[in-house]
Amino acid sequence: MLNRLKADIDGILELVQKCPPALQETALKVILEHWFMGNAAVPAKTQVGSSPGTVATAVPQDLPGPVKNFMTANGLTFEEMSKVYSPIGAGAQLLISGIPGAGKAMKQANLALLLAVKQALETGAFSCTLKQLREMATHYDCYDAANFSTNLKSHKNDFKPRAKGADLELSGPGLKRAGQLIEGAGEHD
Amino acid sequence: MIDVAQELEDLLGELVAVQKDVNKLTTASVSGTPIREWIKDIHKRWLPILGVLEKADRLDSGELQLVSEHWNRLLKLTDGKNPKSQYRTVLKSIISLTEISVLHPFIKYSGLQTIGSTLRKLTASISDPVLLKYLDESIRCAEANCVRGSVVLAWCAVAFRIQEKLVSIGLPQLEGEFDKMRLDQGMLFKNFNRVYKLSTKPDVQEIPDAHLILLCRFLTYLDDTEYKHLKGALDLRNGCGHPTGYQPDPVKLQAYFADITQLVLRNPKFA
Repeated sequence: MLNRLKADIDGILELVQKCPPALQETALKVILEHWFMGNAAVPAKTQVGSSPGTVATAVPQDLPGPVKNFMTANGLTFEEMSKVYSPIGAGAQLLISGIPGAGKAMKQANLALLLAVKQALETGAFSCTLKQLREMATHYDCYDAANFSTNLKSHKNDFKPRAKGADLELSGPGLKRAGQLIEGAGEHD
Repeated sequence: MIDVAQELEDLLGELVAVQKDVNKLTTASVSGTPIREWIKDIHKRWLPILGVLEKADRLDSGELQLVSEHWNRLLKLTDGKNPKSQYRTVLKSIISLTEISVLHPFIKYSGLQTIGSTLRKLTASISDPVLLKYLDESIRCAEANCVRGSVVLAWCAVAFRIQEKLVSIGLPQLEGEFDKMRLDQGMLFKNFNRVYKLSTKPDVQEIPDAHLILLCRFLTYLDDTEYKHLKGALDLRNGCGHPTGYQPDPVKLQAYFADITQLVLRNPKFA
């Protein structure tokens, strides 16, 4: 997608320069938002019989706004999202067979990020309960009970401050890291 | 009400810390009072957790008994000056048993308590009464910790939907499509060489599900990726429907439901 942006950016800037100087920043923002939305969306259904490896993805009409913003901000396409989650919307499940990261600690932190996005696909809130995280970490064999809390503390930048036992909620850096993980997770799975 | 998982994690964290301190000792025995008192304190915190765990009917009481016995051995060691090696052995057993035989099953069973609502969300938009009959029974199985039964019953809904769809194109036509698929030399189909004679609907029910879903791919009701995922779901169903040691967990079941609902039960091509 970045290559496409590189190809289009000159045209976008040309358009922006036609606006009054005071409005150029806003114009650039609006045009870029539309560009990302347009380029993030793939056709409603991949053609039947498409080449192996492509994923048939129905683009949901009712995707929560925060998820749309998250995808736009991180330049994520529906195709990239659908390599990690299915369906893209309510009832989303993690598709990947392994959690990216070296060692249980990193995998656990990355799993929390991916689960928060999964939750957002359903409700729009990038949060994850500790119960969910424990269940999924057990499933993905990255649950280290004795260091569960310590692992979360060592990745505290990814989450908003919280009381002990409270749900995890992604911070700005956490959202960014989640975006990077989704971009990379589908490629390596 | 205590958060058992959190309490057990904290307890395990402390036991690991004790284990490290014991390992660091340069003496052959644990003679210092602080470590022994520390262990006694941790044990006091273990007792209320044990009380809750004993009430959880799905946990293996034998495993809990075993952990308790190891705790008793550890407490006995703290009564006097005892060898470090004995502490190490008992601590290792308690930590390992508590995590693998108590905490992991506890987490798994707490997942089963909410699985019904999760699965019902996935099947909420399905209205066919026959499918709902199978799915409802499947979900009730999951809630009762019969995950393998749940997988098999949910597949009944999938098989029913696929058979209905294929029968709807007409039996002679269906027979013809099987013949065309037999002659197709494409990667997916070249190993298919069965000849089917279809005169009644039950003849279709006799065909292995693997061949039916392959035909669905041949008829382009599924693309390659969808076929691959549905084949994976069928493999899971076969793993659960035959005597094997495989025990899928609630997370696997959720992913299975997500796949079968998306690929077949809610797929307009199978309507």
